[in-house]
Amino acid sequence: MMNIDKYTDAIRNCRFCFMCRHISPVANVTFAEADTPRVRAVMIYGATMHPEWWSNPDYIAMLYRSDLSRCCTRHCVNHFDENSLNIAARTDIVEMGYVPENIKAIRDELVAGADWQLSGKADVLYFADPYSTEAGTDRVFAEIMKKAGISFATVSGCGCIGRALKVLGFADDAKAAMTKFAGVINASGAKSVVVSNPAAYHALKVDAAEWGIEINADVMHTSEYFLSCGLNISKQAGKLYYIESDYLRNYNELTFPHELLAKLGAEEQHLGASCDFLDVPDQQESFTCGEGAVVLPRIDAALVEKLAKRVVEQVDDPENDRVVTASAYTKIALERYTSLKVETLEELVLKSL
Amino acid sequence: MLVAKDSYMYEMIRTELIDAIGAEFVHTCDDDKLGHSIDYYWIPEMWHDRGMPTPKPDFIVHPGSAQEVAKIMKIANQYRIPVTPWGGGSGSQGGALPVYEGIILDTKRMNKLIKIDKDSLTVTCQTGIIARHLEWQCNKAGVSTMHLPASIACATIGGFLAHRGTGVLSTKYGKIEDMVMSLEVVTPTGEIIRTLPVPRHASGPDLTMLFLGSEGTLGVITEVTLKVHPMPEAREFRAYVFKDFHTAMSAGAELMRSRLQPCAMRLYDETETLTHVSKVFGKKLDQGAYLVFGFDGPKEIVELQMKYAREIMENKYHGEDYGSQGGMDWWKNKYKFFYPGFMFHIPQAFGTLDTVATFSDIENVYWAMKNVVQKNFPQARFIGHFSHWYEWGCMLYARFIFEGKDVPADPGEAAALYNRVWDMAIRAAIANGGVINEHHGVGLKLGRYVKDLYGSAMPVLEGIKKQLDPNNIMNPGKLGFKGF
Ligand SMILES: Cc1cc2nc3c(=O)[nH]c(=O)nc-3n(C[C@H](O)[C@H](O)[C@H](O)COP(=O)(O)OP(=O)(O)OC[C@H]3O[C@@H](n4cnc5c(N)ncnc54)[C@H](O)[C@@H]3O)c2cc1C
Repeated sequence: MMNIDKYTDAIRNCRFCFMCRHISPVANVTFAEADTPRVRAVMIYGATMHPEWWSNPDYIAMLYRSDLSRCCTRHCVNHFDENSLNIAARTDIVEMGYVPENIKAIRDELVAGADWQLSGKADVLYFADPYSTEAGTDRVFAEIMKKAGISFATVSGCGCIGRALKVLGFADDAKAAMTKFAGVINASGAKSVVVSNPAAYHALKVDAAEWGIEINADVMHTSEYFLSCGLNISKQAGKLYYIESDYLRNYNELTFPHELLAKLGAEEQHLGASCDFLDVPDQQESFTCGEGAVVLPRIDAALVEKLAKRVVEQVDDPENDRVVTASAYTKIALERYTSLKVETLEELVLKSL
Repeated sequence: MLVAKDSYMYEMIRTELIDAIGAEFVHTCDDDKLGHSIDYYWIPEMWHDRGMPTPKPDFIVHPGSAQEVAKIMKIANQYRIPVTPWGGGSGSQGGALPVYEGIILDTKRMNKLIKIDKDSLTVTCQTGIIARHLEWQCNKAGVSTMHLPASIACATIGGFLAHRGTGVLSTKYGKIEDMVMSLEVVTPTGEIIRTLPVPRHASGPDLTMLFLGSEGTLGVITEVTLKVHPMPEAREFRAYVFKDFHTAMSAGAELMRSRLQPCAMRLYDETETLTHVSKVFGKKLDQGAYLVFGFDGPKEIVELQMKYAREIMENKYHGEDYGSQGGMDWWKNKYKFFYPGFMFHIPQAFGTLDTVATFSDIENVYWAMKNVVQKNFPQARFIGHFSHWYEWGCMLYARFIFEGKDVPADPGEAAALYNRVWDMAIRAAIANGGVINEHHGVGLKLGRYVKDLYGSAMPVLEGIKKQLDPNNIMNPGKLGFKGF
């Protein structure tokens, strides 16, 4: 049995369906039919009849170009899981030994670099993952906690806690990485682990459970945590564009970021303007620049640049409009490739205290 | 492959295309070739399903402007390579398939909204823009194209122009050809031309109309100016179930003859009401024919029109009133009908026998098609609804469906069965006053009927093609024109 066999529904249905074409983030910037759930499913179905397709470098590159945002799955009235199908196909490619060198090199680095340290002991343990550290979100979190007078410990380091390896198709390595990280968390004795990075949140909340790895602490996204810990927030955020996170919204339907934004007095404007007359506004397309794929910049930096530039096209006034994201990954990508003013949820909270 | 990949001519042509539009926009990879080898036509889908190879293009180009399209056309003429425009590939007639290989000219990079003119209420855009993206941008500016087809998510404006497509609000706002002000077109020989800026004039024949519906055989439509409309203050729907489809059709026709102005109307025959409407709404409607219609505009006018319409439906034809909720159920779910699970799909064999006729003929067309399908293919199901209503008649969206073992496993046999149903059903429709078709176009699928349809006018059409495309490189073999 292959990994893709768990997703026969998606193979059967997505291959001749065009209904999420308008929100296929990669296809919207490459204009390539190949970058749609339809064609990925056409290819995977074809490969079930023509096994030699699995080793075709063009088909492999197509699968690894997906941003894995899961916005098409969420949009679909049947929620066919094209996203997991893609990850399963990548896993099959790895298991068949056809994984390209560049992907293997990323894997090797993620596995070799995994190293986590605890800063001390406290009930609250903050996970300063590499993206949050790079974007400075960990420092902002620390300032918020200082102002609020709450003590916390930190787990930080480099490498991967499993999600990046999983999306690249290295299932065993991914599980081993999470086992190692869970060991560190469990040894900390913390009651809750607070996570800024949406991908890490998903890994700890969903992947760990799927792998049967126990996390002996409550896993909370920072938005949930801020709402729960009685911060004295002032309503001053004003007009802004909030970029929905792939992992928080499309994967987990978490509403905490919006609740927090409301508490901050944010007046949310919609990117991608899904303002169909009489329909409920809902940002269907993903504008995270590849948050779902976790390490997309290392696979195809030029693609991430295009995804970032598409966000610029969506706002009214790129020089002055404010863009807010829950994802340090997205902030880094947008700041690298555009001149948009991007804030994280943590930065908004700090300003409001 | 038209030009063998290991031939130096392949590299010569590729180099020229790259020189014209940039390396990033000339694709020769297998993934994109595969993507462009199957559109929404059942035959290539079935062919792929059976593990058969589907015809692939040699090159896929993504031009960003009319100037780049012109350069591509000149190269293609020089080397005599077929060029097939591809928008979203959502056409159901095989029109965008590269049946003679060559170049696929994917228009989706031409996706810019150029201008919204709020004085004249028009929008000018490039034609590769996906209809939904255009509508989103118009809505942001407070207007609407009112072009809301079920394929709004995937089809390009150029595709609709090329197929004379239509949207759900066609009864009030028209088909795409009613919405067009003017076009920019790149001819097969690479000239960039513009049609007159307004659609109503007395300055000779209307070139805009020549290119509408030409399905990529007479040129590439690169820019369009469309009418737009203010967002209506109100849009209200109401649904009725009638004892049978004949009564419902009479009520619908009467509503149109009354010259009230519904924005949309749909009538589902008894079978489709039972199988489809019930499923999509998640409510059981086990007998009768479901009719829904709506009005939009200023609230008071909507209410007044609805009052008169209700009199027709309730007092004259005794429809069972499902109220505004019954109507809104349909409006809210209008796209849901087209998702897998609600729409037909391989392994089923299915086809949409899209036909349009006057009110005097439409029921005869329905019965002629239904009888011929049921008599000759008793294993098939036949369902239908009436989608786009005009002052004089409406469109029949009839479908035949084969399931399970009734669909031959052998691809040749499956295609032959499929084509036989079309032949019989379409000829029955034409014999009863039907026109194939209302909005899906001809493409590869229906090319063989075009000569019947045009009769002695066919050489006129062929002459125009020859004049514009002397080397026959523009989407050959489609729309009933000769192959490459
Ligand atoms: C789920 C679903 C629902 C649908 N519902 C509707 C509906 O409600 N109304 C409707 O009208 N149709 C509908 N269709 C059919 C289809 O969407 C239309 O035929 C549409 O016009 C095709 O547009 P496209 O961009 O996908 O064109 P393609 O399929 O890519 O091309 C269609 C034809 O147009 C030509 N072409 C494309 N762009 C250009 C251009 N710029 N210049 C010249 N020629 C060009 C191609 O060569 C081809 O011959 C539906 C299809 C699907 C899959």
